[in-house]
Amino acid sequence: MKKWVKEDLWRHIVLLVTCFFVLFPIYLVFLSALSPTGSLQVTSFIPKTISFNNFHLLFHSPKIPYLIWMKNSIVIAGLVAVLSVVIGAASAFSFSRLRFRGKKQGLQLLLLVQMFPAILSLSAVYVIMERVYNFAPHIGLGTEPGLLLVYLGGAMGVNIWLLKGFVDSIPIELDEAAKVDGASAVQTYWLIFVPLAAPILAVVSLLSFIGTFNEFILARLFLVDQNSRTIAVGLQSFISGQYATNWGPFAAGSIIASIPLVAIFLSLQRYIISGLTAGSVKG
Amino acid sequence: MEKLFQRKVTVTLKYITVALVSAILLLLIESSFAKREYAISAFLTVGLIAIAITYLTNFSIPMKFFLPGMFFLFAFVVGPILYTIAMSGFHYQTGNYISKPESITQILAGGIRPDAAQTTFDIIIGEDPAKNLEILASDPTNKKYFLATATTKTDLDPAGLAIDGNGDATVAPGFTPLTPSQQAAEDKALATTRFAYSSDYFITIEGGNVASLKEQSLKYDSSTDTFTNVLTHAVYRDNGTGNFANIKDKNDQLQPGWRAPIWFENYAKLFTDPQIRSALIPVFIWTIVFASLTVLTQFALGLLIAMTLNRKLHGRRIYRSILILPYAMPSIMSILIWGGMFDTEFGAINHLFGTHVHWFQSALYARLAVIIVNLWLGFPYFYLICSGALQAIPAELSEAAAIDGASSRQIFRKITLPLLLQVVAPLLVASFAFNFNNFNIIYLLTGGGPQNTLGGAVAGSTDILISYTYKIAFSAGNQNLGLASAISVVIFVIIASISLYGIRRSKVLDSFK
Repeated sequence: MKKWVKEDLWRHIVLLVTCFFVLFPIYLVFLSALSPTGSLQVTSFIPKTISFNNFHLLFHSPKIPYLIWMKNSIVIAGLVAVLSVVIGAASAFSFSRLRFRGKKQGLQLLLLVQMFPAILSLSAVYVIMERVYNFAPHIGLGTEPGLLLVYLGGAMGVNIWLLKGFVDSIPIELDEAAKVDGASAVQTYWLIFVPLAAPILAVVSLLSFIGTFNEFILARLFLVDQNSRTIAVGLQSFISGQYATNWGPFAAGSIIASIPLVAIFLSLQRYIISGLTAGSVKG
Repeated sequence: MEKLFQRKVTVTLKYITVALVSAILLLLIESSFAKREYAISAFLTVGLIAIAITYLTNFSIPMKFFLPGMFFLFAFVVGPILYTIAMSGFHYQTGNYISKPESITQILAGGIRPDAAQTTFDIIIGEDPAKNLEILASDPTNKKYFLATATTKTDLDPAGLAIDGNGDATVAPGFTPLTPSQQAAEDKALATTRFAYSSDYFITIEGGNVASLKEQSLKYDSSTDTFTNVLTHAVYRDNGTGNFANIKDKNDQLQPGWRAPIWFENYAKLFTDPQIRSALIPVFIWTIVFASLTVLTQFALGLLIAMTLNRKLHGRRIYRSILILPYAMPSIMSILIWGGMFDTEFGAINHLFGTHVHWFQSALYARLAVIIVNLWLGFPYFYLICSGALQAIPAELSEAAAIDGASSRQIFRKITLPLLLQVVAPLLVASFAFNFNNFNIIYLLTGGGPQNTLGGAVAGSTDILISYTYKIAFSAGNQNLGLASAISVVIFVIIASISLYGIRRSKVLDSFK
C-alpha cells in the first residue's frame, strides 16, 4: 500500500489532470452538440435536456450542405492520398535504388523543397492558378480539380522524402537477388518493392489523407462557392461572424467529421507513429 | 502464353495513358499559348517532350519512375517558389497589378474629357453596309448631320434627309439601324467604341440615343514614353517603380500603375521603412517566442506523460487512448472549439474558473491562450515520440546507476535525458520550424489580434510572420504581393537554415553519397 502511494499516486494525479485538460474541450463539443439551444454558451456543465436537433439540422437544413462538404473533403483527400502515393512511391524507389546522373543534386533539391512550407508560396500559387484559370477554367483558381493539383504537388516533396526513407530500410539484397535472376527495374519495382512496401504505402497515404482533410487556407482561398467547399472551410464559415447560434450544428458536424479520423488513427497508431518518427509533422 | 497476353495488356494500357496525358497537355499548351501565358505553355511543352522521350523510348529507366513526381514538384512547388522570389523583386500591389501595356491602355481609356462646349448629339445606332458599327448623329440646333464609324466620318447634306419633329435625321444612305436586341448584343462594343469626329475629338455613346463629343486629355507619346495632359501641359514620365509620375511633382501619379521590377527595394523596405519595420520587429520576436514556448511546453508535457506511463500502471491503456485524442482529431475543429471556449461572456474557461478575463482583447492573455491551445494540440506528438525513445534506452544503464547509488533524479538528468535528447533533438528542431509557420492556429484562434496599437499598419499582437505576411498579401484594402513575397523569402531562408542545421546533426546528408 505504502509503495503504491509512493510509486503510483503521483502518476495517477498527473495523468488525471492531463486527461481533464484533454477531455474538457471534447466534452464541451458533445455538450453543445446535444444542447437544444445550439450555442457554446455554458450555463451548466451538466446537460439538463438532450436534443438531437443539431444533428437533424446538419442533414436536413437546406442552408447547410453538410453532406456535400463531407463528400468534397473525402473525394479530394482520398484522391490526394492515393495519387500522391502512387506517384511518390515510384519517385522514391528511383531515388533510393536506381543509379543515375544528377541523383545527388536531385536529392538535395528534394530535401530543400520538402522543407519549404507550402504556405510561404501561397500568393504565388494563387497568382499562377489565376493565370491558369484564364486559359483553362476547369482546372484553375476556384475549382476542385485545381485545388487537387495544388495539393498533389504540395504533398509530393514530403511523401517522396518519407517513402525514400522507408525504401532505404528495405534490404538491398532482395533487389540484387532479383537483378541476378534477370529482373528489370520495372519488374523489381512491381514484384518486390510494391508488395514489401504495401503497409508503408498505406500509412503514408493515410497521413496524406489526414493532412489534406485538415488543410484549411488553400481550400479557403480556392473554393469560394458554397457547394464546392471542403468540410474544414464549411464548418469554419458557420461560426465566423456573429452567428454564434451555429455552434450547435458546428459541434455536431465536427463530431461526425472527427469520428472516421479518430478511428483510423487509434486503430493504426503503431504504424502512423513509425511514420511520425521518420520526420513528418502533422499540421 | 498467359504471361505474353498480360504483357500485351500492360503495354497497351501504357500507350493509352501516355496518349491521353499527351493529348490533355497539348490542349493546355494550345490554349495557354493563345492566352499569351508563354511561361506556362513553355513549361507544359517541356513536360510533354519529356514524357514522350521517357515513355516511348528507353532513354532513361530511372526517369520513367521519377518523371511524374518531378513534374508535380516543379509545377506546384518549385515553380511557385521561383515565382515568389521573382515577385519579391517587383512593385506588385493593388494599383500596380497589371502589365505596363495594359496600364497604358487603361490610362488612355480613363484620360478623356468632354470638349469645352460640352457638345452632344442625338444619335441612332446602326451599322454600315460592311456591318461595322455606325451612328447617325444629328445636331438639331446647328442643323448638322453626319454618319460616323470608328474610323470614318461622313457629313450629310440636310437637304436630302428625312428629318423628324425633333429635328433629327431618321434615315441615311447605306445606314441600317440596329434593333434593340442587336444593340444589347453589341453592348460592350458600344460602350468602348470611339467614333471618328476630327483629329483631336471623338464621339462616345452616352445612352441609347445620345452621344457626346470627347477629347483625349491625356496623350501618350510612345517615342518618349510619356503622357501629356493637354489642359495643364503637365508631363508624366515612367518613374521606374511602376507609375507615370508628374515630372514636377513625383506624388502626382497616373492610375493604374503596373508591376515594375524594383529589384531589392522590397527587401530594403523591411529594414528601412519605419512603418513596416515597427510592425515587423515585434512580430518577429513573438514568432520566435511562440515557436520556442510551443516546442518547450509540448515537449515538457509529452515527456512527463511518457515517463509516468513508462511502467505498469492501472488503466494505462485507457490513459493512453485518451491522451492521444487531441492528436487524432482534426486540428482545425479543435482550434475553433477552443476559440469558442475562450469567449469572455459565455466561454467555458471563464465559467470554469469563475473569472471574467477578456482573453482576446489583451495581448498577454491572447498569447497565453495561443500557447495553451497549441500545447493541447501538440503534446501527444511528443508523448508518442518520447515514449518510443524511452523504451529504446536500455534499462541496464539506469539499473547500473541505481546500484552505484544514484538517485532517480540523478539518473534522469545524467542518463535518461541526454540519451533521449540525442534521439529527439532533430524532431524538436523540425517542430520549431513547423510552428514558426503555424498559420492555422493563429489565423483560426485569434486572427492575429488583438490589434497592436504600437505596431503600425495591420500587425496584431499574436500575429506571427506568416499570418502577418498573409494579411499583407490578401487583406481587403491594399494587397502588397511584392512585399509579402519578400517576407516569405526571408522566412524561408530562416527556416532552411534551422532545418539544415537539424539535418546536419542527424547526418541525413551523409547518405547522399
